[in-house]
Amino acid sequence: MDSNSQYLQMFFDESAEYLQLLNENVLLLEDNPEDEEIINAVFRAAHSVKGMSATMGFDCLTDLTHKIENILAKVRNKEMVIDEEIIDILFAGLDYIKALVDDIKNSGEEVTDVTDYVKTLNQVLEESNANIKNTEKKEIISVEDKFKAEFEKLLILSEEEEKELVSRLEKHEYIYNIEIILKEDCLLKNVRGYMILKKAQEVGFLAKSSPTQKEIEDEDFGSSMYIKLISTMDDKSLKNEFANIVDVADVNIITERKAEKHIRKESNKSTKTAKDKKKRSNKNKNLSNIQVSPTVRVDINKLDNLMNMVGELLINKTRLEGLNIKTEIYQDIIQQLDRVTNDLHHIVMQIRMVPIGGIFNRFPRMVRDMSKELEKEIDLIIEGAETELDRSIIDELADPLMHILRNSIDHGIENPEKRENKGKPATGNILLKAYQKGSEIIIEVEDDGKGLDVERITEKAINKEIITEEEAEDMEQREKMNLIFHPGFSTSDVVTDISGRGVGMDVVKRVVESLDGQVFIESEKDVGTRFTISLPLTLAITQALMVKINNEVYAIPLGTISETHLISPEEILQIRGQDVMILRDHTIPLIEGARKLNLDVEYGKFKELEEIPVVIINSGERQIGLIVDGLLNQQEIVIKSLGNYLVNIKNISGATIIGDGDVALILDVRNIA
Amino acid sequence: MAKKVLVVDDAAFMRMMIKNILVDGGFEIVGEAENGLDAIELYAELKPDLITMDITMPEMDGIEAVQAILKDYPDARIIMCSAMGQQAMVIDAIQAGAKDFVVKPFKPDRVLAAINKIFEE
Repeated sequence: MDSNSQYLQMFFDESAEYLQLLNENVLLLEDNPEDEEIINAVFRAAHSVKGMSATMGFDCLTDLTHKIENILAKVRNKEMVIDEEIIDILFAGLDYIKALVDDIKNSGEEVTDVTDYVKTLNQVLEESNANIKNTEKKEIISVEDKFKAEFEKLLILSEEEEKELVSRLEKHEYIYNIEIILKEDCLLKNVRGYMILKKAQEVGFLAKSSPTQKEIEDEDFGSSMYIKLISTMDDKSLKNEFANIVDVADVNIITERKAEKHIRKESNKSTKTAKDKKKRSNKNKNLSNIQVSPTVRVDINKLDNLMNMVGELLINKTRLEGLNIKTEIYQDIIQQLDRVTNDLHHIVMQIRMVPIGGIFNRFPRMVRDMSKELEKEIDLIIEGAETELDRSIIDELADPLMHILRNSIDHGIENPEKRENKGKPATGNILLKAYQKGSEIIIEVEDDGKGLDVERITEKAINKEIITEEEAEDMEQREKMNLIFHPGFSTSDVVTDISGRGVGMDVVKRVVESLDGQVFIESEKDVGTRFTISLPLTLAITQALMVKINNEVYAIPLGTISETHLISPEEILQIRGQDVMILRDHTIPLIEGARKLNLDVEYGKFKELEEIPVVIINSGERQIGLIVDGLLNQQEIVIKSLGNYLVNIKNISGATIIGDGDVALILDVRNIA
Repeated sequence: MAKKVLVVDDAAFMRMMIKNILVDGGFEIVGEAENGLDAIELYAELKPDLITMDITMPEMDGIEAVQAILKDYPDARIIMCSAMGQQAMVIDAIQAGAKDFVVKPFKPDRVLAAINKIFEE
């Protein structure tokens, strides 16, 4: 990787982070326009983006962020009040920043046209400047030439200054008139000027300077400074002192008068000219003394590789275990190895885990924009943003969640008027919540809107020939709701550009299932709708039950299994030609594994067994009993994909290598159920 | 022996930038901090010859960090990393005892010139 692309990558990563931070904080600012902490946080982030952009030479971005920063500075200095207009401008600015960063990512150049927006910014800034100028008029004259012409006059001392100078002269030897010329490209001239004055005070007594301290601070001077200084130093070393300051181009010294020799103790150093300024606020300090442990940024591919290697290690460990040698030393080694690999696996998983807040945080902004556009009032409540999930899963989740939320905002929550008519509060709530439940992560999106209209969904599905009327009659409510996940389904009569043409919801199901997860809907008319997504903690390694079907070993991920049973043939009943069993008063359909896998097995052969092994599998609220030939053992498996050619094999989700080095297929039991 | 430098900036990007400039200029980076609090801690631990200090940072800003470090270590050499528009804060930092400042976007020769001058003194 060359250094430039190394910078670029970091630039992209960090600017994305700062944008996120900006979005969050501007959103907070909207509700707390006076909060200085938030203003400062926004300012800092904008400032950092500007710094990075300038360094990378992205002029458009630099200019844009600079202007935004100016606005924020005005807000911070209380020269501008945050109102809705400013918030909108800030948000628009963030969008432009993002667009520009995306441009750079895609084409290496800043394509997006921001001139109009910058104009708006300038206008806002000018208006504010005009306001200030009305109250406090200040003259700014070019002073460059003034100094040169009036050099002597400038440094003429008043009577009092003369007196003080004479009194000082008792302990100093020389009076110097010094001209200090700054470089043309000197940055932050006022600070440089301040440093020069400070230096003058260190090497002697500063009788007078032009520009004055005040003028220096206001940057109200040209490229030269004139100083009348009394010092015991000779002119050469004095010249060196000043010439050594950065950005000083030249120093000219005229010795005005040699004073009589006097000896007196050096008095306390003059701090007379030092600016008497307010103490800076120490607020930040008390706010949070959280210890942040040092972090390392790692390329996600490296983590993937690491995970793979751990997987390989696990496979080999399992194979070693399979040898099952009955010696003490072997058992000892196996035990140690087991412990170490488990820890290792655990750590690698931990490393890959990131808080789901990373994607949750994008949504408040979206909800705000959308509800504004649709003239709805919506509060988004986020819970469990700290819940951690595998990085690769998180990345995939953003889209499905976005679709569900859009759906809730667009189709779920009613407009305020309708809500009030129904006796609900005008402001709708959407709850976005994540939590861990066993080895699964549950994400819920719950709204208190109008609920799914099952009748209309069914009607629509029939119209669109997704199902027939006869099929509809046999369908349960739950199944009807699930129709919205069908490709090409849309319930909204009016197609909005927000939740689109119903292409969204089938994406939700597809993505979630590709992550080995599930999505359910619960809904009640006028009460609300809840989407629940359940996902495995991690994709690569999982605990599985090994079973035997037709003399082959298969793996069933443990997360899907609720229990196993050995039943006798008499316990099998038939309902409408379907084999079922009764488990704690529940009727559970039985499915023969071998037949599902299209193995050449005669139906009913399992009924010859005295004890029939049944694996009870959970699929949503549904349970089925999977009939297998034998239950083997529980073990850790490393999930390997079957490769691109075999991805669409029904009922098989992957493969793993088991102890004896053989390959076992992993059953896609959710599909089977 | 190469002079040891502690780089303080909340943006990893900026830290990398200045690190590369300094390493090219023959300095050794002994540590990085992303806020003032960490900077204080790391200074005490590493005793670097120089600190490059950003101004706006979360937790504790550069000015407070300069004040805190110089209180315990009056000889510490600190150079401020400022942006345009932060004049007042740079003045505060210089007043607090920072030796000099450089302005973002960094130009390697300027940064190195400023730092070398500090060591010449």
